[in-house]
Amino acid sequence: MGDLLDRDLISNLPQSIIESILTRLPIRDAIRTSCLSTKWRYKWTTLTHLAFDEKCVTLSNDRTLVERSLIDFITRALFLHQGPVHKFQLSTSYLQSCPDIDQWILFLSRNDIKELVLELGEGEWFRVPSCLFYCKKLTRLELFRCELDPPPAFKGFLCLKSLNLHQVLVAPDAIESLISSCPLLESLALSYFDSLALNIRAPNLKYLCLEGEFKDICLENTPLLVAISVAMYMTDDIAEHFEQSSNCNFIKFLGGIPRLERLVGHIYFTKYLSIGNDQGILPITYNHLKIIELYQVSFEDMKEILVVLRLITNSPNLQELQISGSSNTLAAIEASDLDFWEKQCPSDCAFGRLKVVKMTDMSGVPHEMEFIKFLLKKSPVLETMSITPCAYVLDGRLNMLIELVSFKRASPEAEILFIQD
Amino acid sequence: MSEGDMAVIKPEMMKSYIWLQTADGSIQQVEQEVAMFCPMICQENIQKGMGSSKNHAISLPERVNTAMLSLIIDYCRFHQVPGRSNKECKAFDEKYIRMDTKKLCELTSAADSLQLKPLVDLTSRALARIIEGKTPEEIREIFHLPDDLTEEEKLEPLKNSTDDPRIRLLNRLYARKRRELQEREKLKNAELEEERSDDRSVDDLLSFINGEIGDSKGIKTSKNKKKNRRRKDQQKNTCLYEANEIHEESSNLKFACPSDEVNKFRASPSLTLKLQDLNDDSLEDMVEFDDGDIDDEIDPALKEKIDREVEDFARRLNSDWPQRIQEILALDMLEDIQGGNGSYKQNIPTSANGWNNFDQMLTGF
Repeated sequence: MGDLLDRDLISNLPQSIIESILTRLPIRDAIRTSCLSTKWRYKWTTLTHLAFDEKCVTLSNDRTLVERSLIDFITRALFLHQGPVHKFQLSTSYLQSCPDIDQWILFLSRNDIKELVLELGEGEWFRVPSCLFYCKKLTRLELFRCELDPPPAFKGFLCLKSLNLHQVLVAPDAIESLISSCPLLESLALSYFDSLALNIRAPNLKYLCLEGEFKDICLENTPLLVAISVAMYMTDDIAEHFEQSSNCNFIKFLGGIPRLERLVGHIYFTKYLSIGNDQGILPITYNHLKIIELYQVSFEDMKEILVVLRLITNSPNLQELQISGSSNTLAAIEASDLDFWEKQCPSDCAFGRLKVVKMTDMSGVPHEMEFIKFLLKKSPVLETMSITPCAYVLDGRLNMLIELVSFKRASPEAEILFIQD
Repeated sequence: MSEGDMAVIKPEMMKSYIWLQTADGSIQQVEQEVAMFCPMICQENIQKGMGSSKNHAISLPERVNTAMLSLIIDYCRFHQVPGRSNKECKAFDEKYIRMDTKKLCELTSAADSLQLKPLVDLTSRALARIIEGKTPEEIREIFHLPDDLTEEEKLEPLKNSTDDPRIRLLNRLYARKRRELQEREKLKNAELEEERSDDRSVDDLLSFINGEIGDSKGIKTSKNKKKNRRRKDQQKNTCLYEANEIHEESSNLKFACPSDEVNKFRASPSLTLKLQDLNDDSLEDMVEFDDGDIDDEIDPALKEKIDREVEDFARRLNSDWPQRIQEILALDMLEDIQGGNGSYKQNIPTSANGWNNFDQMLTGF
């Protein structure tokens, strides 16, 4: 046996390297190494990062069989495991709500869990047990299709830095207090919430991602916010709510985030911001805002155009602008308010750092063309202006081009790219 | 601390070098910016001022020999240049990592001792890619791992267990016996004979156990039942039940039958029943069970038959025990009987030829 020991290439590497190797294997292969030799029998049991999915077991057409064998697999793996588990990930559509998951979370709560990702199937949503709320060391929590019900005595996850709730059923005030009770929270992502009115108080928050039907979003205390991505869906009663609202959403949402570097807005975001928008002097300048991406901006709605203008004129260091239109060409051959651009448009501004502009889904409606003209006139260092016409507009393209060619450009370096697909 | 601070002041024409000494005594010099890419070398140089001359060369850890050092220097030389694009780095890494497994392991070890984390990550990833998806045999071969687990231990604890108690029984019997015999081997320092693998099905084996024992040779190749063959010579074959199941594919029940020479008392793995309670007819109680996990390929009718046969076998052992034990003692086949005579609750003779005793018992010589 002595010879064999010398020849053994790998078993005597330091445990940290072995763990580094085993962590990079799918969990099933990692556990199988216990059959290699006596030295390898328990090497996998101290892994601190466990990630399970349906690839751990043999797949077959019988869903209940797969479900059962997956549950067995995970339970046995956890039972054989020794030491702390810092990262636990379960992503499978085969499991929904079942009592075994409660057991696993209880096990994890006793083993210093720091990062928990639970992504379950479409059936009955899993109701997260209360032992989750006693995981004191939790730094990252990601839940998909679960029910969250914090106990009344819950004081918050004091170490939580990242929270991602996707299709999670939770009471609105519970969500607000959850967010505000996590003092170290840096990254927040909420998706598929219904009719949520949200006040976000998170003094350390840097990254915010919202997607769903939000009635109202107020970034009450988020001074360190650096990147935002919002996709707002509209329903009838949200629209009604908007009609009746008297707040200036622009200020409520963007009023307290001076450190913003990147803003992305989808669907009804610009419309949301346009509600209650006054054109007064904005109390805040976005000195760090470098990238703005706004989708589904309707250039027929003067209010939305005003929102865009307000945003870009208060961002002196803007470098990249991407706007995607959503106009209805049939409606707007003759647009009203075209004289706005001559008379009321802010004329003393210049986009001193703007280098790249992408206009997509352009229908060629008058306001879109005026906007492009405006940008070209006011961007002395512009390098690229690319315009992609909307797929439905076929006849108007030539007219668009003719107009484009006639626009004055402030930047000698500016290239106009008309992208046809 | 900038590189300028660290460098010995030299005319701009001359590069500064760091002197490194590997465990095997050879000393070489490496460009400073390249060597400084390794945290350990950097630390030695800055904190202790080592490496500035041949006499004060930095002693590298034992795991870094000359060959490894040159590989590591190659890596550092490429990566320390600032402004490399991700694509370039990836392309270099992919090419760099192509080496035989032995070197890869040594390199991982060496990089770890120099605290060069990016290289450790790269090599770990490469090793993980090697291991992924391979069978244990393949992995053992690649890394020269000793196959020193017992069959029982090899049975992966995470597979779905089969519901067939008979198969589990055989698994455990085999596993236990093998383990005991291996310990004996070590004590006695006897040679191990080669195992032969036998592809007979379970029912064959059981008939073999039950009464058609007497097979003297050639179990390995034949799949037929060997009926009523008398042992002419002393060559006895013992059978092993080896659970060879690691993978998702359905396992085959394999039987390893080492040949065994009775008179020489050569230790060979053999199967005996560990009868803990011989008075008890129930098969389940007779032996300890561990979990087997072999897929069952036997149809129900045959299963019935086999179940009955196994039960018969148990009963037979029960009833014949005192007589057998006398015969066994007389033949001096046993090395020891654990627990003394008449104590049915003890292990039956666990000599190397234990299986053969059963043969004798059952055929009644």
